[in-house]
Amino acid sequence: MHTLKVLSSLLRINIQMSLAYRADTLINILLNLMWLGWDLLSLSIIFNNTNTVGGWDFPALIALLGVFRLVNTLMIALVWPNTEKFNQSIRDGSMDYTILQPVNSMFLTTFSRITIWRVWDLILAFGLIVVGINMSGDSVTPLQILSFILLAISGVIVIYSLWIVLIALTFWFTKFDNNVTIMQALLDSGRYPVTVYPVWLRIIVTYIIPIAVATTIPLQALRGDLTLSRILIFIAIGIGSFLVASRVWKAGLKRYSGASS
Amino acid sequence: MLKIFQRLWQVNWAEQWQYRANLIMYLLFWLVSPIVHLAVWTSIADANGSVNGLTANDFVTYYLLLLIVDQLTSNITIHIFAYKVQDGTLSGELVKPIHPMLTNTLVSNIAFKALMVMGFVPVWLILTFIFKPDFSAVTWQGALLAIPAILLGFCVNFLLSGAVTSIAFWTTRVYSINEFYFAMFVLFSGQFVPLQLMPKAIQTIARYMPFQLQIYLPIQLLQNKLSPAEILQSFIVGILWLGVAILLFNRVWREGVKRFSAVGA
Repeated sequence: MHTLKVLSSLLRINIQMSLAYRADTLINILLNLMWLGWDLLSLSIIFNNTNTVGGWDFPALIALLGVFRLVNTLMIALVWPNTEKFNQSIRDGSMDYTILQPVNSMFLTTFSRITIWRVWDLILAFGLIVVGINMSGDSVTPLQILSFILLAISGVIVIYSLWIVLIALTFWFTKFDNNVTIMQALLDSGRYPVTVYPVWLRIIVTYIIPIAVATTIPLQALRGDLTLSRILIFIAIGIGSFLVASRVWKAGLKRYSGASS
Repeated sequence: MLKIFQRLWQVNWAEQWQYRANLIMYLLFWLVSPIVHLAVWTSIADANGSVNGLTANDFVTYYLLLLIVDQLTSNITIHIFAYKVQDGTLSGELVKPIHPMLTNTLVSNIAFKALMVMGFVPVWLILTFIFKPDFSAVTWQGALLAIPAILLGFCVNFLLSGAVTSIAFWTTRVYSINEFYFAMFVLFSGQFVPLQLMPKAIQTIARYMPFQLQIYLPIQLLQNKLSPAEILQSFIVGILWLGVAILLFNRVWREGVKRFSAVGA
């Protein structure tokens, strides 16, 4: 309850901040639509030349595009702005004020900046997912949709946990400004099913920087490619990675000595 | 003049060298998307035998050459110049008797390129080892034709980026405009896919746009895929765009600097 209250006031602050740049917001939404157009055009170019990509058909790739944009929005609206603020706060010591608040410091660090107009992007992403599922027709069972939702949530948690670990490393190596660049760099691989990639790339984006866990794998559940035991394993990985990440965060926080004093 | 460039080179190289640790990240950023496209299209070509006459090897060759060509023709002008207009540090450069964009920014771009090449060469060799392309279509004759095309592509793109970045004199925030410019580049340059797979309308427009000079044209020249008439036409279009880019850049720059001095005073 307390956390929700904090979150709602954080949201209010961020709405006020973005209202100060109204023209910017409008331009950004237009640019966003332009990129959506490009994404759809590039998919249509691909499917003009083939019926399947890595065994997946057009509706599946539309839904995958939706999931990809979901993760991408998470990166742009949450990960980047908060990381920037966090890196700054380690360098100049303003992290002190975050720790002093009677709120979980990990929560406060990762949710204090939210690029609010990106909500629009989330709606588009959900739209794409729904359209994709609808286009696949009656082949999808409710159970598959449920496992898709669970695995998408779990995949986003895995990405979130990786982010926590990457920024927590800053406690050990103060000058580690590039902490999340590697996630962003590999993110583009999430546009397509991991099955089209050569093995080495598949291993990197599944196990090392697990973009695919949040993009390809939920979609595989939706398509009914995963057995129940694998679905359960991936959900367990989501929970496990969150536990590990909060451990790493706590350990890192102990190393923090403050740069201001 | 040569001495000035020499000096600028020393300064800019030293500046870029500081950031050598970031090199891996820059490389990753810039490698992933072509490799993703390479993987997607080769898998499609493998599954269907060929795509519109292009085999899996054609795609591997295309994207591996794209990495080289893109490396040579691209620039980072917006990142090294726009902020100087925003925070006013450009004043210090404007009082010097040399053109800030055409000397300092240009040399800085080249220094960045030189640094990138150091990381790029081994990575590219590893990629050729992994994907084992058959480069037999690439000949000396093609390379000789591609060199002026790459140079032309760099110059036109540098001047146009310079003009786009100079819009910062009016709006200070120039990243949205640059994003739009980049979108045009993605659409018309052949960066996503060889242009012959694009819809006909886009192909036609692309032929008269400056963007294919940066990617598609040099790659096609390297592989000897164009007829003499097509080569001639492409170079004429390129030289016309060079003229347009020079005029446009000069105009925007001159008007913009006036604006800057008015605000800064």
